[in-house]
Amino acid sequence: MNQAVFGHFTYADVMIDAAGKLRDSGYDVTIFSPVPLVHEIEHSFGEKRNYIKYFTAVGALGGFFFGITLAFSTAALYVLPRSGREIFAIPPTLLISYETAILGGVLFTFAGFMLLSRLPSFKKRTWLSEIDGDSFGLLVEDDSGTRLAAIERTLKEYGASEVRRVEED
Amino acid sequence: MEHKPTYSEINEDVLNLMTKTGPGYYVVLGIAASLAGLLFFLPWGYQIYTGQGVTGLNVPVLWGVYLVNFVFWVGIAHAGTLISAMLFITNTPWRRAIARGAETMTLFSLLLVTLYIFTHMGRPWNAYWTMPYPNQREIWTNFLSPIMFDVFAIGTYTTSSALFLYFGMIPDLASLKHRTTGWRKQLYTLLSVGWSGTDSEWRWHGKATMFFSSFIMPLVVSVHSIVSWDFALSLVPGYSQTIFAPYFVTGALLSGFAGVILMFTILRWAYPFVTKYITDHHYDRVGIFMLVLSLMWSYFTGIEIFTGMYANTSFEIESLKYKILSPPYFPLFFVMIFCNTIVPLTLICKKARTSKPVMLVICLFVLVGMWLERYLIVPNALSRKFLPWMWHDYFPSWVEISITAGAFMFFISLFMVSIKIFPVISIFEVKEDVGIPLLEKKEH
Repeated sequence: MNQAVFGHFTYADVMIDAAGKLRDSGYDVTIFSPVPLVHEIEHSFGEKRNYIKYFTAVGALGGFFFGITLAFSTAALYVLPRSGREIFAIPPTLLISYETAILGGVLFTFAGFMLLSRLPSFKKRTWLSEIDGDSFGLLVEDDSGTRLAAIERTLKEYGASEVRRVEED
Repeated sequence: MEHKPTYSEINEDVLNLMTKTGPGYYVVLGIAASLAGLLFFLPWGYQIYTGQGVTGLNVPVLWGVYLVNFVFWVGIAHAGTLISAMLFITNTPWRRAIARGAETMTLFSLLLVTLYIFTHMGRPWNAYWTMPYPNQREIWTNFLSPIMFDVFAIGTYTTSSALFLYFGMIPDLASLKHRTTGWRKQLYTLLSVGWSGTDSEWRWHGKATMFFSSFIMPLVVSVHSIVSWDFALSLVPGYSQTIFAPYFVTGALLSGFAGVILMFTILRWAYPFVTKYITDHHYDRVGIFMLVLSLMWSYFTGIEIFTGMYANTSFEIESLKYKILSPPYFPLFFVMIFCNTIVPLTLICKKARTSKPVMLVICLFVLVGMWLERYLIVPNALSRKFLPWMWHDYFPSWVEISITAGAFMFFISLFMVSIKIFPVISIFEVKEDVGIPLLEKKEH
């Protein structure tokens, strides 16, 4: 369990400013929000690398080759001449592999999202229920537990409506 | 949005929609579910027990109303995907309030699509034969058949739509778990997989949504194109049309948007606070989409007829004459044109687009028209194949008509149950619509 301070904010921009200040001071900060603040955070903290695309690409390519392999290998396993048509026909195989590529891409994107977001998460954050109305939250962790008072002061300086000490897994 | 609700108000409104249930709801649900059982499942059970002979299907018309319904419901599903995926990529803000409801509609439509494949099968318990699996006969599915394309297209579409719907709902389920008790709390806690709304979770959610949308968007085009090739890849006059893929996709979107408007109009009427979120602006935008799609559909209908006429082969001309000039189909053809071409022209007028009763009527006409369009293609073409000895008139039996009507009731029942369990309006997206609270009132 890490010692941490949790601050409630009414305004997103103020919270992001506070998060920036504390982050620059070397603290580990986590922003909690009822809406996505991706653009605002990236604007302040810079853009991070997007790893989801690798999952999507692997899923789509895997799905594509799975579709081709499935169609061709089953045709090879049971050779059935159908009124002079090709046994290994490209256009219909491409149709099948197009669909399997989409399916693979979608499934791997979801898997990538879960993995990168570290979900499912079993952390018990009972204090979270309070921020899910109109306010935003900022969690600042302090491993040593010695600078909690300084963190509280900073959060209050930035206009946190409520500040409290919590324990984070 | 005329009145901007607060975040808490949005939470409360969506929760009220899910939890505050009057007796009217139970009466309507009871009637719809009973009719679904009576009109859909009982006749289907009778058909399974007795055999396909209870339908109007007979050689050479072996594709009847069940496949008409199959194509119709795939079409209804399409608007949900378009609204949630394509309008997300193009960053269209008005999609946010209606996307979840449209996606839910997509999923239940696809459920009906799957059911119609089973009702069409003489022996639905052998449905697994369509799957490529090793078996003792060493025989595999035929990947050259458009029916197999369907298996993969519909399978991919259903899986992707269900996953996309669930994925988009995760933040809302997490939000709801804090506000509910009992079985709801347990369910939402389980389904929200520990989502807590951190910056990292939102970031990956946003990135993944973009990839999801980019992958699901081609399904709008590919699935109904593939459905159209069930017909267009054959040599049957009336089926063998190169225009079918765009024709089917356009028709699908037209009927899908009509379905979305119909659904939200009823929702607005049943829950007046929904009017805060589904506004005139949504009606106006969807109305414009419908007008454009109707014009495109009318053009494709003309092209379908003219290419048949220009081909000038006896069997194409006979097929067209049967569809357009012979009773009982010629009145249906003109009803179809009236519903899909003439009636939607009223959408040129903004007053019509923003009037709920007018939109409701237009959408009902469009849905009837689009169902007729499929009816005039699927069994009709098979009734007039190449040689006169193959000609055979098809009329759906009471079993087919009953199953068709029952499906609508089943859809209504499913949707009514779903809006009480899952949020039909996306909480976090509507909050985005309202705007992020900032101390410095800078442009968001």
